[in-house]
Amino acid sequence: MFDSIKKDFTTRTLVLIPVAIAINIAVGTLVIYLKLPVYLDSIGTVLVGAVAGPWAGALTGALANLIWGLFTPNVAPFFYVAAVIGLMAGFFGRRGVFQMESPRWLSVVIGILFFFTLAYFLTAFLNRQTDATGYTTYPTPGELLSRYSIVFLLAIIAGALVGWFFLRNGGYAGLAGLATGVVAAIISAPMAAYVFGGVTGAGTDLLVAAFRASGAGILSSVMAQGAVSDPFDKMTSYMIVWLILRALPARFRTF
Amino acid sequence: MALIELEHVSYRYPIGSGLALADIDLRVEEGEFVAIIGPNGAGKSTLCYTLSGFIPHFFRGDLQGKVQVAGMQAGSSTLNEWVLQVGLAFQNPFNQISGAKYTVFEEVAFGLENLGVPPDEIRARVDEALSLGGIRDLADRSPYSLSGGQQQRVALTSILVMQPRVLVLDEPTSQMDPAGTREVFGLIRSLAERGLTVVMAEHKTEWIAAFADRVVALYQGHVLLDGKPGEVLTSDALLDKGFGISRYTSVARRARERDLWPSDRPLPVTLDEAAAGFSHRSSR
Amino acid sequence: MNDFSLYVARDSGLHKLHPLTKGIYVLFVLVAGFTLPGPWTSYFVVAFGILPLAAWGKVLGIHLRSVWRVTWPFALSVLLIQGLFWGHGEDLVSLGPLALKKEGVAFAFISIGRILLVMSSFILFSLTTRPDMLMISLKQAGFPGSIAYIFVTTLQIIPRFQSRAQTVLDAQRSRGLETEGNLLVRSRALVPLVVPLVLGSLVDVEERAIAIEARAFNSNHKETSVVEIPDSLLQKRIRAVLTAGAALLVVAGFAWRLLS
Repeated sequence: MFDSIKKDFTTRTLVLIPVAIAINIAVGTLVIYLKLPVYLDSIGTVLVGAVAGPWAGALTGALANLIWGLFTPNVAPFFYVAAVIGLMAGFFGRRGVFQMESPRWLSVVIGILFFFTLAYFLTAFLNRQTDATGYTTYPTPGELLSRYSIVFLLAIIAGALVGWFFLRNGGYAGLAGLATGVVAAIISAPMAAYVFGGVTGAGTDLLVAAFRASGAGILSSVMAQGAVSDPFDKMTSYMIVWLILRALPARFRTF
Repeated sequence: MALIELEHVSYRYPIGSGLALADIDLRVEEGEFVAIIGPNGAGKSTLCYTLSGFIPHFFRGDLQGKVQVAGMQAGSSTLNEWVLQVGLAFQNPFNQISGAKYTVFEEVAFGLENLGVPPDEIRARVDEALSLGGIRDLADRSPYSLSGGQQQRVALTSILVMQPRVLVLDEPTSQMDPAGTREVFGLIRSLAERGLTVVMAEHKTEWIAAFADRVVALYQGHVLLDGKPGEVLTSDALLDKGFGISRYTSVARRARERDLWPSDRPLPVTLDEAAAGFSHRSSR
Repeated sequence: MNDFSLYVARDSGLHKLHPLTKGIYVLFVLVAGFTLPGPWTSYFVVAFGILPLAAWGKVLGIHLRSVWRVTWPFALSVLLIQGLFWGHGEDLVSLGPLALKKEGVAFAFISIGRILLVMSSFILFSLTTRPDMLMISLKQAGFPGSIAYIFVTTLQIIPRFQSRAQTVLDAQRSRGLETEGNLLVRSRALVPLVVPLVLGSLVDVEERAIAIEARAFNSNHKETSVVEIPDSLLQKRIRAVLTAGAALLVVAGFAWRLLS
């Protein structure tokens, strides 16, 4: 079985993967230095997926976390999440999202949709009611929109700005990143909740605390925290890979 | 019999427009030391990759004509067969370190391990190659802790240990300081003296003049000149085409215009030749 | 050793063990800590299964420091979040509007034990195992060589990559790129820092691939190795027993959970 997988990996891909893992770790460290509220520790993984396909992407993600885990053991159990990120980047890559240019207005629409959904999700989550029998009800959309109209207005403005100035012509890559982030948040939550009691030891724990304070369970708090942080992080990673591939001479783009 | 035979060889990279090689004819006899010169983009690296089988087995593209090296044909032999016969080393020593090994000894053993050679035989062959490469004293060092010249000698030794019949070198000293250049050229010369066939792309003309049996000048993908180092390196045909020309050649050429260099004497490439020519002139 | 790993060279019996023996032991210890019932299990496993080995490997001091450094942020975070925000429960200590809940603290205690177990077992393994030896032993056990190659190469590339990142950072700053200031300023710095770093290394990939192919990397022969890893019949038996033990614990753990 290993032999048949090995045939899918050219020597170029095998050489690229260590470089990609080093990119994950170096950029992840750089981001900490710049004190940005993202992780950006999967740029290399997304890059391998984009140029060398889903299986190479998955292997990159898994090995990146296991190797990083030799140094900081807490990332090791999440190797499967990283593998899925690489896998998804690979499938999106095959669809051409890293090559396609979106019109700028579409990027604006994507940005607005993302921020609007995020705002809706947050307000709904924080305003749900749980009755004595454990039955949870959420406020109706109409209620939320009227009660938090200013929040939604700000979200629309922020989304439009992000779409116009950040996503620019990479709207498709950004959208693929958002999708990857949602999946990553959902599948990483059980591990975070079971092994690590729902915390990461980083700044995002404040979000978990806020959700716990609103009365949510451990698993749903972690998932909600991930749903806020991860799509943003993966969207940024996909955008950076999109920029890199555009700047790269064509002969280095195929593996 | 010629060990290397190229007939009407043309090649085009998969992406990019023009021909990288255009109708090349080249024969190299066993044991010859041939230097390839040419300005940037003349096709030196492409020729090196063709001789070592990486074209067409690594770079796809479109290869035309007959390529025969050490009895192998470009179309029918695999890259694994090529690397056993033809060793390739190139510019950046850092990129030639495998990264998979912690000591120079293990680094040199890498190729033989990949070939499945039994460990005892590997140790013996690595020991021998380390002596040949003059790097016995580095055996236990990390390849990453070495200087550029040392790393390049490790890279060459790692190829030599596989006992190829042809050594193809793509500007192996272009990133070296003078000391590193001397180290690397010294090793290459001793290999050539042992009868290894060497094809080397290089622009350091004085070193070529001192070492090579023959010089091939490439220009825009075709062979412009092919002959003795003294003739090719001093040819007027190289002028204004971006070739590297030895400063001694340039000085003597100007001197000849003013009748300060004997017109019956060939132009010099090295300092010694220039000194001989000028002293001959002044003693007359 | 000049690479990205925790390995600390010592002359100890633990260092001399076959890497797979240590690896399977870590697996066994993790399985034991996670399957055996009771809030104290993980702590017992760390105290009696990990720390004595760290002492045997002559790395106890550095082991404790490393484990402490990576564990305390988690411990604090989990204690505060689960302790303070546990839905309903008995107050243990209350301070104004905030109260540490008994059930939350109990949950945090179990979580901290698990985190401690994961961290201390991984760190003990990394401290006493040379990464290349681990890879050679995995290869000899039938693991694909390409994964071993990726693993070891990554560990060697990372330190060089980090210094390259520093060079890019310095170069861009000397050209006036701002890396301090508000979030917008710092975010703008990201792309000019990351893109050149990645582009440079991607262009190198082609040459590096050619270099290893020139050394028969893709050969169809079964690879051999000049480095030998000492093994013994005793260690083989220990590995078999630990593997069986771990499997038994997993089955027993499931059965126990189904019955209760």
